[in-house]
Amino acid sequence: MTDKTPTAKTPGQRYRWSARGFIAPGVFLVAVLLYLPLLWTTFLSFTDYNGLGDPEWIGIENYVEMFDDPQFIGSVLNTLLWVGGTLLVPVGIGLGVALLTWNLKGGVWLRLPFLIPYALSGIGVAVIWSFILGSNGALDQALAAFGIADTPRWLVDSPLNTVVMILATSWQAVGVNALLFTIGLQSIPKEPLEAAKLDGATGFRLFRSILWPMLRPLTVVVIGLSIVASLKTFDIVQGMTKGGPGRSSETLALTMYRETFVNSEYGLGSAIAVFLTIVTLAAAILYLRQQLSSKNEG
Amino acid sequence: MSRAIRTTVLAVLGLIWLLPVYLLLINASKAPETFTSTESWKPTDFSLFGNIGEAMRLSGLAESVASTLLYAVVSPAIAVLVGAAAGFAIVALKLRHGFAWFVLIFGGTVFPIQMILLPMFDAYSRMSLFDTRFGMIIVYTAISIPFSAFVMRNFFTGIAHSVFEAAVLDGASTWRIFLRVYLPMASSALVAIFILQATFIWNDFLLGLVLSQSDDVRPIVTSLAGMQSTYGGAQMSTVLAGGLLVSLPTVILFLFTQKFFARGLALGQ
Repeated sequence: MTDKTPTAKTPGQRYRWSARGFIAPGVFLVAVLLYLPLLWTTFLSFTDYNGLGDPEWIGIENYVEMFDDPQFIGSVLNTLLWVGGTLLVPVGIGLGVALLTWNLKGGVWLRLPFLIPYALSGIGVAVIWSFILGSNGALDQALAAFGIADTPRWLVDSPLNTVVMILATSWQAVGVNALLFTIGLQSIPKEPLEAAKLDGATGFRLFRSILWPMLRPLTVVVIGLSIVASLKTFDIVQGMTKGGPGRSSETLALTMYRETFVNSEYGLGSAIAVFLTIVTLAAAILYLRQQLSSKNEG
Repeated sequence: MSRAIRTTVLAVLGLIWLLPVYLLLINASKAPETFTSTESWKPTDFSLFGNIGEAMRLSGLAESVASTLLYAVVSPAIAVLVGAAAGFAIVALKLRHGFAWFVLIFGGTVFPIQMILLPMFDAYSRMSLFDTRFGMIIVYTAISIPFSAFVMRNFFTGIAHSVFEAAVLDGASTWRIFLRVYLPMASSALVAIFILQATFIWNDFLLGLVLSQSDDVRPIVTSLAGMQSTYGGAQMSTVLAGGLLVSLPTVILFLFTQKFFARGLALGQ
């Protein structure tokens, strides 16, 4: 290189080509394997296509058909139940476990039982809980021992089947929420805590006035994660009920899978995928905007 | 609340949480002949290893173990390097419009995976990549890249640019600086991303369900789901043993690396 004064050019110019070389593999793989399919799915959602021949442009007909189907609405409602249920139960219990183990001797060990299920696959959870919740399964036997013989059909009656699957997921998800909240609690500075305690704040008042506001940034992350994950619920439902009986426990992700890969309704399946994406993005954007604006006001 | 009450509440709740694990362990240990679906709470005998052996044989779980290990090691390894290279280009080499390129790469994780399933299936079928190990490695790599680039860019931002300038003055090429200076400094971040993505790939069900079919390509969780629907009634203890086998690696890995995990998750947002 003849240029003796490196400061004469900005690094952006000096390393223009090698910088492009370093970012190229990432951009290429993401563009070809994620964005291209994304665009293709969006296009297919406006067509009639079953994998054979060419896709035929039909405008918004798939979307009209989708919303005309009462069972699709059922699937939307189930998905909303998943979002609400997984916010209430695993996030709530996770926060509770984190608060109870906070500064507690042996807290690490008391937290352990909740952490064991976390790294299980959705299908692993489904295998265990299908066994427990099956007719005359482990739960029914336990209830019978207490004299309760007339138990509901956990995985058959709707919407009970969705509720028990949410509880099975909660069994898995409490641990990671407890872990995240614990890290949040540990990072709270000592001074305001000591000050509040000197002022006589304990228990719920301490929680409301000091802990909760200080956990706020982490809570935003935990709730955001939970919403996005629950909107995409697939594995555990496919593993436990396959969306049935009928389509009573289907979530949007299952409806998309069934229309696409079981019924070969590629256009309709794509429209459901697009709908799921719009809902996910809208939830994420609305949630973040609300969080950011209320932060500015406070 | 007093310590005693807190400990008691946690212990009781913890025991409830362990009940499904107890049920899994004792029932996965029952020989198919002694297993009855009506006596789930009492342990009878210990045939766990026989059941695991049988589970490996059924539904091609043994073949799946090998290919899933391959996916869970190779794909995150490539993704970590590709992500690190992208972070290096943006932070150290000050790529023009670097932030826009970063947003482009990271945007790949924002939408649900349902958006790519059908085109991937369609394209893979046409290009003879359907039901191949190579095809699975490519797709797992691609979906691991955005997160990897995200963490690596954050990590490299914390390294003073004078480190890069000093290496340039020593006459090192950018390639050499990347390999010998930046990658070694980032080893803890690289390991954290690798562990998170390997766990994610090991636990994947949906991509395996859509993009593979034969025993020696199908990932292990997809095989387990197949085994459950085929043998779930007749050979329940074998299926439970299979579930235990599939779950152990990630559960153990997670318990030993909890902090990494939680930080990675919090970062991932």
